[in-house]
Amino acid sequence: MAKPAVIVVGADKGGVGKTTVSRTVLDYFSANNIPTRAFDTESPRGTLKRFHPSVTEIVDVTSTSDQMKIFDTLNSAKTSVTVIDVRAGLLSPTLASLRDIGFLDAARSGQITFAVFHILGPSIASLDEIAETANFMTGAKYFLVKNFINNTSFFEWDQATYNSYFHKIKDATEITIPKLNEMAYEQVEVASVPFLKFVANKGQRDEAANYSFVLRGYVRHWLGNVWGEFDRIKLTDIVGKDKGGAPTKAE
Amino acid sequence: MDRTPVYIVCSPRPRVGKTLVSRLLAEYLLLENRDATAFDINLNEPSLLDFLPKLTETASIDDTFGQMQLMDRLIANDGAPKVIDLGYHAFDGFFKMAVEIGFAKEAERRGVQLAILFIADRDRTSQRAWTMLEENFRNAAIVPVNNEQVLLGEIPPWIGRAELLDIAILPGFLKTYIERQNFSFTQFLRTSTDKSSELYQWIVNCFVRFRELGVKLAQHRI
Repeated sequence: MAKPAVIVVGADKGGVGKTTVSRTVLDYFSANNIPTRAFDTESPRGTLKRFHPSVTEIVDVTSTSDQMKIFDTLNSAKTSVTVIDVRAGLLSPTLASLRDIGFLDAARSGQITFAVFHILGPSIASLDEIAETANFMTGAKYFLVKNFINNTSFFEWDQATYNSYFHKIKDATEITIPKLNEMAYEQVEVASVPFLKFVANKGQRDEAANYSFVLRGYVRHWLGNVWGEFDRIKLTDIVGKDKGGAPTKAE
Repeated sequence: MDRTPVYIVCSPRPRVGKTLVSRLLAEYLLLENRDATAFDINLNEPSLLDFLPKLTETASIDDTFGQMQLMDRLIANDGAPKVIDLGYHAFDGFFKMAVEIGFAKEAERRGVQLAILFIADRDRTSQRAWTMLEENFRNAAIVPVNNEQVLLGEIPPWIGRAELLDIAILPGFLKTYIERQNFSFTQFLRTSTDKSSELYQWIVNCFVRFRELGVKLAQHRI
């Protein structure tokens, strides 16, 4: 059986697009036929669960019982890939919990594949988050995600300052999530379906839908660009599934 | 099921005869008793809407809502041919958007026959536009239009071996005549008593070219 892989998507700041990125990751694995389970820590509401109800469970990542639900089942779950969408403000505490339960040690020793997608916001606070998160990153694949989906401009950043933070972390990799047409984004929100289903013009239960061709086109194009980034970092290889370098298409 | 043709009459250059070709084509399609619709995407040029108000709808691609209203209709395989008079201001924006949303590929998938009628000119902008179309719209029929009034017999070499759709020169006084907003080509054909007149022959020739184009498209020969 493949080595379990855990991908944590998070940020300490809210509203930077954590769940959106988690959704693209789940769609990406789905398109590459990699069975995945997800945990949504936005308890009790669960935005990720709204879009991916069949693979997502809502948990309170600060509670021991839910931590057990996630981490004690890594080896026994039917899926080897676990995506955890960490709600705002909980990234650092979650990483601290993972350290405390010995998960980070397991990652360091190679028993588990561990990756963190750290979603950066435009404010300078995000740079401080990098420094804080970096302390936990030994043994993990660390991705700094610049999310432009909401037309974010990283205007508060001095590039030299950012670089100094960026270079503090060995092997950190940058990912760029491009902007998506606002109306297209809104329509996917309203439809409450994965991006992939929206592109395929399908509803929540795979029934035929009637989304605008234009909006579907924008989403397909955008998703293709996002997946191009995931292909670039060889995300499937990271979770132990070699797809032979073929590009992932949002069709 | 027959494919639904969508003709995009375009050029990145002003005043090369886009609206004239659109008018001719739209009237020809009507004459064929087809339920044609025309869309006018013009900002500053003489507009198709002025000539064929009953047939023509205005369209905008400046915002997503306008794009949806236009493109969601163009992509429908409903049997009704569509003619788009694409103003030169909108050329880049329209085709950039069309590439981004995968219009040509989806059109092919849905049985919509995309035909881009490109009015050729000899300048570098036209050459760049032609190259862009050839690179991005391999699934579409790209037809260079030789408006003799524009090219004056000098066919640009970058057209290559693509078969031209020729629109012959009209004498100045006839050009003025057909530019009246209440002039109708089909009406002229119906009412003309002199079938040997230059204008009559010119219209017939244009319509024959469109018929040949339609046949080639139907037979996948372009």
